[in-house]
Amino acid sequence: MIAVRLLWLAVLLVAIPAWVGNCFLNVDKPCRNPVFLWISGQMLLWAGFQVICVPVILLEGRMWMVTVAYCGFILVLLAAATVRYFRQSRTLRAVREAKPEKAEIILWVLSGVLLLVQLVLAVLMVYGDGDDAYYVAISAAAEESGRMYQKIPYTGMHTELDVRHGLAPFPIWIAWLAQMTGITTVIVAKTLVPVALISMTYGVFYLLGSRVLFAGEGAYRKKWALPAFLLCTEVLVLFGDYSYYTVENFMIARSRQGKAALGSILIPMIFFLLLTLLRKIQEEQKITVGFWVLLGSVMTACCLASTMGALLACMLVGTAGLCGAVSYRKWKLILPLIGCCIPCIVYAGMYLLLG
Amino acid sequence: MDALKLFQEYMGTGLIVLWFLVSLLYLWLTEKRKYIRVMFLYVPLVLLLVFFNPLVAKIVSQMADGEIYYRILWLLPVTPVIAFGTVQLCGKLAGRKRYVGITLAIVLFTISGSLIYRNPNFQKAENAYHVPQSVVDICDTIEVPGREVMAAFPGELLQYVRQYSNVICMPYGRDIMVSKWTVQNDLYDVMEQEVIDAQELAELAREEACAYVILSEDKKLVGKMQNQEFEEFGRMHGYVIYKDSTVDLYYFMKE
Repeated sequence: MIAVRLLWLAVLLVAIPAWVGNCFLNVDKPCRNPVFLWISGQMLLWAGFQVICVPVILLEGRMWMVTVAYCGFILVLLAAATVRYFRQSRTLRAVREAKPEKAEIILWVLSGVLLLVQLVLAVLMVYGDGDDAYYVAISAAAEESGRMYQKIPYTGMHTELDVRHGLAPFPIWIAWLAQMTGITTVIVAKTLVPVALISMTYGVFYLLGSRVLFAGEGAYRKKWALPAFLLCTEVLVLFGDYSYYTVENFMIARSRQGKAALGSILIPMIFFLLLTLLRKIQEEQKITVGFWVLLGSVMTACCLASTMGALLACMLVGTAGLCGAVSYRKWKLILPLIGCCIPCIVYAGMYLLLG
Repeated sequence: MDALKLFQEYMGTGLIVLWFLVSLLYLWLTEKRKYIRVMFLYVPLVLLLVFFNPLVAKIVSQMADGEIYYRILWLLPVTPVIAFGTVQLCGKLAGRKRYVGITLAIVLFTISGSLIYRNPNFQKAENAYHVPQSVVDICDTIEVPGREVMAAFPGELLQYVRQYSNVICMPYGRDIMVSKWTVQNDLYDVMEQEVIDAQELAELAREEACAYVILSEDKKLVGKMQNQEFEEFGRMHGYVIYKDSTVDLYYFMKE
């Protein structure tokens, strides 16, 4: 029974997002990289969860309403992704030109082992963080009682709706996972979800390396560079506890909290997408609607993760948009970027008005 | 709110941020691709200027809690820039020197930073719930099927109780331990005393409708809880569970 539940959780956290990622097939053409599909699919799912969940919370609705609406949303996305998959013209995938060098293999093995160590330790070790008393208890309360942000998580007393935290309902997403799988909320939050989120973080670093930093022809495409880059990022993350505030600390120690997902997955994902955007502009490639939908989804997901996510995402996209527009003399770039910021502006406005 | 102070606290020893600045300088001098220059050089520098801008600091601290202002620093791509700079630098080396360079860089990172698993807050998980086993066992003991139960816990267990069991309610929670939040509760104050007056504890627990009081075995009691009609319900992991014998927790099942 436990194995079935774990398998179902893996389906919810990996298989469904990866298939939904087919909606963005043309963004990463012609690679169809499973890591890209997985992460981009999860971005769209998170964005949908935010759009569905916040109104239900504000209207003081129950958890089952979110579950029903979100499952419906997933089914629609799965259907759309299936149609997209079969409509996509079959392009040849890139093949390796030569056998990997010994050093390259060693670097891949080392980075793989280091990742595995982190995932195992995420299950076997625990970081005692006081904020869990809020976030995990919110998830547990939503899953158990069906009420969202209407109980003081610290004590269990009933209270008025906590609008401020309710605008970033990442704990409700964890409650949804617990409800769907039947696994105890605290186990999902503190033991299982971190495994997926830490993997996703390195997935974004992988995309950053493989699609942008060491992509293309010539000197930049060095086969050893990508695993070396990943190895360096892993060591920097593992030794990133040089202060309490670092994003690396949040990523490993408090992975189940939305703010950790914001700092370690969503902000790097915005970096990846903006680098991709500027690269496409430089190479005069077409920027598809799918790309803008994906960027908008990531920005909406930032609002799901943390109330400060709206501000940080807009700040990053705004700064990068201005720097990019000035550097490339492409002022038209700013308009769609503003469009992607609209969800964040809406949620920030709600925070200021209602929070 | 002092942005400079926050930045200093964020830097820790400052070595990793130093490698970040060195990497920025290296990329400034060597990186040719404009899109990487924009995202890895210009954007971080503009964001640093934004972070240190007192006007931005004032606006952000008015909109949100000033203490989370440091999160703007999360927008600096510290890890990818250092890793990218390292790989680019090592790429200039040929043959074995390249891998020696990567090894040296990794050694440098381990010396400059601090291993997260050595943080004293990291401990071996006692169970799959990632909460102390004492909390699991106490909650399982006092839970009543089909209803919520009010219980007073000692401070060190507060943050875990409602993560594990949502049917256990408490008159005070983890928020009482955060001094800046100025939450106050008389029962908590008594529970945290080294020597506890049993009569005062029992009266306050009844005022807060607590059916259970969980006390560390190390606490000294003046008087007996049994004399206050609190029976010893259980004893585990160094804690004693007292139950208010005047409360019938199963009354709703008898109706």
